Amino acid sequence: MNNTNRAVNRTILLILGLVLVAIGGGIVTSAVWPAAAETWTNIGSGAEGWAQQAWDATVIAGTGLTWVAVAALAALLVLVVLLIMLVVRSIHGRRRTPLRASGAESDLGRVTVTEGFASDALKNALGERDEILSARVTANDIKHEPVLHISVTPRQNTSPVQVAETVERLVANLGVLTGQKLTAYISVHAGLRAKLAHDQRRLS
Amino acid sequence: MSSPVLRRVVRRETHSPRTVAMIVAVVLVILALVYVGVEIVLNLLGQPALLLGPAASLAWVVGLPTEVPAGASIAIGAVIAVLGVVLVLLAITPGRLSKQHLMLGDSAVVADNGVIASALAQRISDDSGLPRDQVRVGVGHRVVDVTVSPAVGVPLDEARVRSVVDSELESYRLAARKRTSVRVERPRDQEERA
Repeated sequence: MNNTNRAVNRTILLILGLVLVAIGGGIVTSAVWPAAAETWTNIGSGAEGWAQQAWDATVIAGTGLTWVAVAALAALLVLVVLLIMLVVRSIHGRRRTPLRASGAESDLGRVTVTEGFASDALKNALGERDEILSARVTANDIKHEPVLHISVTPRQNTSPVQVAETVERLVANLGVLTGQKLTAYISVHAGLRAKLAHDQRRLS
Repeated sequence: MSSPVLRRVVRRETHSPRTVAMIVAVVLVILALVYVGVEIVLNLLGQPALLLGPAASLAWVVGLPTEVPAGASIAIGAVIAVLGVVLVLLAITPGRLSKQHLMLGDSAVVADNGVIASALAQRISDDSGLPRDQVRVGVGHRVVDVTVSPAVGVPLDEARVRSVVDSELESYRLAARKRTSVRVERPRDQEERA
C-alpha cells in the first residue's frame, strides 16, 4: 500500500490514449475518404509553409541557429523533464511512516510503541503458528491515521477466516498490551511458498 | 470494518494502481521526444539525420494520404488507434486484482482468490471424503466454479456438495456476491463421450 496518486496515472493514460486514437483515426480517415485527405494536405502544406517561413525569418545572425529551433528544443526539454519527474515521483510513491502509538500516561510515565516493536511482537506470535508460513508487518500512514498491515501466507488449504481470526486476536492482544486500539489491515496471500510447502499441518 | 480509512485501504489493495502502464507509456513518450530533439540538434549542426530530418519528416506526414499507398497508411493508422484504445481502456476499466474482500470483524481482510479456492476445495474434500486432488475450485470476481471428479463407482451427492460450498462461502462473508456452479465429472461419462 503506497500513496501513489492513481487518478494522475489514469488521467495520463486517458490523455495519451485519446491523442493516439485521434492520430490513428485521422490517418485512417484521410486514407479512405478523399475529402479528409484534401483537408489533411491543405493543413499540412500550410503548416509546412509556416514552419519554413518561421525558420528562415528567425535565423540568429552569424549562426546557423534559428529561434524556432531553440524554442522547440526548450519546449521539448521542459516536457521531458516534467515527464521524468512524473515517473520518478510515482516510483517513490511509497511512503512509510513509523507507527508511534503513545499509550496511556501513568504515574510511571508514558508508553510509546514503535513500528518495530509491534511488528516484531506480531511476527513472533505468528511464527509460532504452524499453519502460517510467513508473515510481514508494516505500518502505514493513511489519511493521517496509522494502519498496521499484516501480510500472511498460510499453508495451502487453510481457511482464510481462521487465519484472519488468529491475526485479529493477536492484534487485539497487542492493543490491550499497549493501551491503544490498533487499526489493522490483513492480507492473506497464496504464494509460491504456500504451493511448495506441505498442505497438511505437521503433527507433533 | 467500516472506517473510511480501511475502506480506502481495501479499495487500493483490490484494484490495480496502473503505475506500470503509466510508466511504460510515459517512458515511450520521453524516448520519442528525445529522438525529435536529437534530430533537430543534428539538423542545426549540419550533420546527417539519423532517420529523417525535421523538414523531411514534416513533408512525409503531409504526404501521408497522397504519397503513401492507402493500405500502408490504413495499417499505420489502425495500429496507432488500437494502441490508443488500449490506453483508454486501461484508464477507465476498474482493474480489479484477483483478490477478495472478506467482511470479518473489525479489521479489513483481503485474501487472494487462490487462498479462497484452496480452502474451499479442502472443505469439500473433508466433507465428501473425496481425495483433495479430485476437487478443483476456481474463484473469479463473480463466479465460483467447482469441479469434482470422483472415481468410477464412488457415489456423490451433488446437492450436498453444493450446500457445503454455499455454507462455506457464506462463512467467508465476501463483499462481492458470487454465483456458484458445481459440476460432477465422471470418468465413465468421458469414455462414453469419446
